[in-house]
Amino acid sequence: MNARAIDDIARAEQGTSLWKDAWLRLRKNHLAVFGLVILALFVIIALLTPWIAPYSYQAQDLELGASGPSAAHWLGTDIFGRDLMTQIMYGGRISLAVGFVATAVALLIGVTWGAIAGYVGGRTDAVMMRLVDILYALPFMIFIVLLTVVFGRNMLLLFLAIGAVEWLTMARIMRGQVQSLRQQEFVEAAISLGLSPATLIRRHLVPNALGPIIVYTTLTIPNVMLLEAFLSFLGLGIQPPQTSWGLLISYGAETMEEYPWLLIFPGVALTLTLFSLNFLGDGLRDALDVRGAKD
Amino acid sequence: MIEAHTFRFLLTLATVILLAACSGGESNVASGNREGILYFGNGSEPQGLDPHVVTGVPEHFIIGALFEGLATKNPYTLEPEPGVAQSWDISEHGRVITFHINPRARWSNGESMTAADYVWSWQRLLSPALGSEYAYMLYPVKNARDFNKGAITDFAEVGVTALDDLTLQVTLDERTPYFIQLMDHYSTFAVHRPTIEKFGQMTDRYTPWTRVENMVSNGAFRLRDWQLYRRIEVEKSDTYWDRDNVKLNGIVFYPTENVVSEERMFRVGQLHYTGSVPLGKIPVYQEMADSPYRQAPYLGTYYYLLNTTRAPTDNLKVRQALSMAVDRDSLNKNVLKGTNLVAYSITPPDTLGYYPPKLFSHDVAGARRLLAEAGYPDGRGWPGLELTYNTSEDHRKIAVALQQMWKDALNIEVTLTNQEWKVYLDSITQMDFQIARRGWIGDYVDPNNFLDLFLSGGGNNNTGFADPRYDDLILRKAPQASTREARYAVFHEAETLLMEQMPIIPVFTYTSKHLIHPSVNGMPPNLMDWANFKYVWLDQDWRASEAGD
Repeated sequence: MNARAIDDIARAEQGTSLWKDAWLRLRKNHLAVFGLVILALFVIIALLTPWIAPYSYQAQDLELGASGPSAAHWLGTDIFGRDLMTQIMYGGRISLAVGFVATAVALLIGVTWGAIAGYVGGRTDAVMMRLVDILYALPFMIFIVLLTVVFGRNMLLLFLAIGAVEWLTMARIMRGQVQSLRQQEFVEAAISLGLSPATLIRRHLVPNALGPIIVYTTLTIPNVMLLEAFLSFLGLGIQPPQTSWGLLISYGAETMEEYPWLLIFPGVALTLTLFSLNFLGDGLRDALDVRGAKD
Repeated sequence: MIEAHTFRFLLTLATVILLAACSGGESNVASGNREGILYFGNGSEPQGLDPHVVTGVPEHFIIGALFEGLATKNPYTLEPEPGVAQSWDISEHGRVITFHINPRARWSNGESMTAADYVWSWQRLLSPALGSEYAYMLYPVKNARDFNKGAITDFAEVGVTALDDLTLQVTLDERTPYFIQLMDHYSTFAVHRPTIEKFGQMTDRYTPWTRVENMVSNGAFRLRDWQLYRRIEVEKSDTYWDRDNVKLNGIVFYPTENVVSEERMFRVGQLHYTGSVPLGKIPVYQEMADSPYRQAPYLGTYYYLLNTTRAPTDNLKVRQALSMAVDRDSLNKNVLKGTNLVAYSITPPDTLGYYPPKLFSHDVAGARRLLAEAGYPDGRGWPGLELTYNTSEDHRKIAVALQQMWKDALNIEVTLTNQEWKVYLDSITQMDFQIARRGWIGDYVDPNNFLDLFLSGGGNNNTGFADPRYDDLILRKAPQASTREARYAVFHEAETLLMEQMPIIPVFTYTSKHLIHPSVNGMPPNLMDWANFKYVWLDQDWRASEAGD
């Protein structure tokens, strides 16, 4: 045991919280920290875009057309002569918002649903999980098309709609976790102490099931970003001149032989985000998995 | 998506290997020039070779080589020329046309062609049971529409009669000056009755009669070999009446679905002619000296429909402002790489000598003034506008460019909506749109083919434009005009009336784009993008003269 580990044990014995503990472990994982920094940077840029973007995202310069990276346009311009860096910055706002909001919706519904089903069990569980099965069987596209036809095109709705179909897997994972946790002594101890089911789920079951949930969440975010691009391509998502990384990539891919930068730069932005999310997800799982750390 | 890419990649790979394997010997072009064989990139595998069943452009070329209509067209002028009929008389009122069939006209099995062949063939085309998509080509003929719709069942009531073996009399509902042109469309061609009846009933589709060993045709060429998805070969027919004027000995049609590999085949001398050119390669070919690239106006117009029944496009000044604010030259030059012709009206220029009026030009100041007069000075109070297009990368590019042109020039917001093809078609027929993208490709070279779109309540009008004066000009005055000049003057008047009301925003005239080997002669560019293979010849000495340079 090295000195730092002893230090940690000492601190742990002083009675730190689960979250503080996890944060300490996370900080030691360099890749996770790198991921966190990159993500934070992207989020800050996205928030500040309207003030710091070098050009207007819709102003065209048809004479200029598609041009490679230059001093005036660091990442080049698209076929309409629009600055690509500005496009990527604005695209990031939408992609990140869709990614985080839709995933948050999925997380909220999925975790609650799965935890209740897993904890209560019996007939309630059967009914809740059959409902999940039925929703699984619904063709996702038809569901989204129906929503957009009924409610019209609306960005918030798009977030909710994607979240509303992505929670199913989350619910299953959560239920499985809760079912196995329920058998453990600390849960029985908590029950015998007289905790209400709601408190029990919130305080003991959810935190202990976080590992797989976080990993799955980091997989859901990129998935959702790509889904948004697909929907937009079909005319159900966002429409020009608004843009997103997924759309920029799909346009870039069509002209990749003539104007490769239109594919490369948005691709780099999306890839960096996905890597960061994965690193952060891995780090968080290690940091939060109490059992894993004590083995 | 992935599968499509993989498939395309494999196809390209296969082509490269094929080409590598071929490169040892003499190229198709070199041997073809010597033997008089034209190697023709034909776009895709034909759906079939039955003139009454197929609908596509690839079939058009093959059937055009195998068959000939009552009249054919001069590829330089597109004016009708004698085909199976050596001459025709048109009655004074233009309602009765008498075709005199050339006594030398023969089927490829040596039998003479008769007027009865046409009566039978047209009955086949119009039979509801055959379900031909091109049956409407003969709708100008008296009672033809009713027969095709099943309202009458006795074909004797339809205005087609064989007066004797060599005289065919056609009675029309009214004067139809372009009727002779329709005789060159494959749907109106005669087919060989005994051959078809040998393999099934009159109205059976896709029977084996079109197979190499069975096919009987009447054109300058006859079918020699058909290898599915590989090649179709035709050879000069020795029974064709005008065989002395046919210069080619044969044509090989390739189903070149992949435009990129087609271009490669052309580059290594496997093709004389390509059906299309990849857009990315066009600038390269354009800059070449003695470029094989040929771009010519095509009988088609790309335009936007304006819904004249809904605000704000129900206001003429708004419509005019929108149209005038579009910088077509910049769009064509920068976004479309100069591959089209800008348009300010619906009819393509030089439609058989007809030129459309040009009532306006790109004028930002004028557009702003009109918009202000319409009640939206500098875009204030603008209610918003939605532009609908069918999902396609090219349509999106044009829409995005226009969206910003309107924003810059008029300071108005236009939102874009893309729809899947069938949804889009539904939207425009229901007139559930404000602005919608539209294209129209002509079936025959005549202004009428474009102008009758906008008759009140017309099926392809889709704008709500309705003007009794316009209907009167197109339906009554134009058919009555006795000379072409008089008729074109009526059309010009009608088109002026149309563009004054601006129910559409014309954007550009389509062009045809091909790579053509310099040894190919007699295949001039024309509005129909159509070749009369009888005229085509290959310059045998081309390679020698190149070597001498």
